[in-house]
Amino acid sequence: MQRALVIEDDAVTANEIVAELDLHGLSAEWVANGEDGLDRASSADYDIITLDRMLPGMDGIDVVAALRNRGVDTPVLMISALSDVDERVRGLRAGGDDYLTKPFAPDEMTARVEVLLRRRQPQARSVLRVADLELDLVTHAANRAGQELPLQPTEYRLLEFLMRHAGQVLTRTMIFEHVWGFHFDPGTNVIDVHIGRLRRKIDQPGQSSLIRTIRGSGYVIAPAD
Amino acid sequence: MRPLTEVWSAATSRLMLIYGALFAVWCVILLGAVQFESSRYLSGVIDSMLQQRIALLARTEPSALQGAVEKAVAIDPAGVMWLGLFDADGRPMAGNVNALPADLPMDGVAHAIESGTLHPVVGRPVRSRAVVMRLPDGRRLVAAKDSRTIDGLGAIMRRGLLWGLSLTLIPGLLGGFLLSRAPARRIRQMQRAAEPIQRGDLSRRLPVSGRGDEIDLLAGIVNTMLTEIERLMGEVKGVCDNIAHDLRTPLTHLRARLYRTQQQLKGPEEAASLDVCLADIDALMARFRALLRISELEDGQRSACFQPMDLAGVMRQVHEFYGPLAEDRGQRFELDLQPMPATRGDPQLLFEALANLVGNAIKFTPAGGMVTLRSANDSDGGYIEVGDSGPGIPEGEREAVLLRFYRGDGSRSTPGSGLGLSIVSAIARLHGYGLEVGGDGHGARIRMRFGPATSATG
Repeated sequence: MQRALVIEDDAVTANEIVAELDLHGLSAEWVANGEDGLDRASSADYDIITLDRMLPGMDGIDVVAALRNRGVDTPVLMISALSDVDERVRGLRAGGDDYLTKPFAPDEMTARVEVLLRRRQPQARSVLRVADLELDLVTHAANRAGQELPLQPTEYRLLEFLMRHAGQVLTRTMIFEHVWGFHFDPGTNVIDVHIGRLRRKIDQPGQSSLIRTIRGSGYVIAPAD
Repeated sequence: MRPLTEVWSAATSRLMLIYGALFAVWCVILLGAVQFESSRYLSGVIDSMLQQRIALLARTEPSALQGAVEKAVAIDPAGVMWLGLFDADGRPMAGNVNALPADLPMDGVAHAIESGTLHPVVGRPVRSRAVVMRLPDGRRLVAAKDSRTIDGLGAIMRRGLLWGLSLTLIPGLLGGFLLSRAPARRIRQMQRAAEPIQRGDLSRRLPVSGRGDEIDLLAGIVNTMLTEIERLMGEVKGVCDNIAHDLRTPLTHLRARLYRTQQQLKGPEEAASLDVCLADIDALMARFRALLRISELEDGQRSACFQPMDLAGVMRQVHEFYGPLAEDRGQRFELDLQPMPATRGDPQLLFEALANLVGNAIKFTPAGGMVTLRSANDSDGGYIEVGDSGPGIPEGEREAVLLRFYRGDGSRSTPGSGLGLSIVSAIARLHGYGLEVGGDGHGARIRMRFGPATSATG
């Protein structure tokens, strides 16, 4: 069973995070301040850490920086009420792996946690495969069942992001952040339109649909059941 | 508009000139009155002396009169008073007056002689006052005295006026100018100090010198008002932030519960009904995030990460991002790039602002319509314009659309938070860009100008 450490000073938010992680089959432990969090994270082997950016005493940035100094490379999801890109950059620069702004939807958080958990298993492949869909990371060529798919640069980046995380739910915000590199709320329908076009390209008539919509959350690419 | 300091110095020098002119006119009037009064007094003294002497001589025995006149002239070699005795035909008989003054009434009263009587000592005609009296035996007795004393007094007065004016006006004006420079300098300091306040940084204050003068008094009043405005703004913002913070926690929980319930439901029909609920809550949460985002932007702490920006690059990204959405809605989405001056800013924020504008334009434009994203230059400088062929923004609503939560009557049925343009406005303000809302009835046009907004929008 994978273990998660939740460093969060607000009990209500912490309960919410722990409950959500439990629901997704992680055993989550909660500490309420930065010093304890740092001790716990350094002494035990966790698979993922969620870290509040603003903590009493030792602040989230200091915790993650200290962790990285001690050679602890557990993935850290920083959670913060500060949505500014500056803050995000500071958090990621200090050693955080992803940054989530409060208020967040729980499934947004778990989607990010899932991605971070998988990141620990490095992918050294140069060709990504999902069912009969192939994407060559070197030549940027895509084909489905042997048939070449002409992709626009954006469509390629979108498909690559989906396929790198095949089987994982990716929220619209995560897609917007990774594919376009912007960190704000673009509204849902723009991303949906981009996914729709990609879907029409890779799902030819008679073929099973590989990109599935996860109701209320986002998208996942996976072989059809 | 002229700079404030120029207006100020013009005002002070104008005041100084008016004051100087009034002062000079007053001095002339004052000295004129003094001169008039004193010459009248001196004339009176001279006149009574002359009349008294004539009256005295007239009472002398007629036979001794000629001797008395000659004796009186002899004891007055400096010619303080001139005397003359003429026979009935006007021929001189005695004294130092060589000719009988013409046209003078022989009434024993003193009169001024402008043309001058020959001065017995100086030897040329001078202005004088004279008395002529016809004696009972037909002879005429004349007494005269030059009036140079009176004229001299006038000259002294005029010289005094000249010196007085030049000695007071020149240093006065000079001193006034020098003294007015210090307040002008302080006004300039205030002007500089007020610039960030005008840009919205309400934490700044006007400088107070501590001298307790009128400028300090004024600065104090303004500062007190600023403190009050800052407090009120803080309160409003605090209330907004608190509402957003307080409400988002129960919202988050509600959403989590609904989501979990939905995951545990079996039938797709039940799940679909929850979909609507989740979408509603997502919209609510997006609105809260937008509110907090505006609040964060308005704190104005971001300018630190301004960098040289590739405007065309950002515009291309926006075009690429929204292209498919416009196409899906059957709209033409055109990108028109003109060379733009280099500018500094935050590309992330500029993208966010343009994305909001383009997103709005696409939302309000019917199928078959057109949305344009273009950069251009005009006499007021460069700008980026987002235009559409939708219903446009009515003239009266163009200011209001930038307000938080404002939604035009026509847009009530369209999904949206009413916060998009507020975010654009906050981002523009942070960059010092002007926002111009316009259009010509065939659609809306919003310009983001790389400088202060101008009122003219086409």
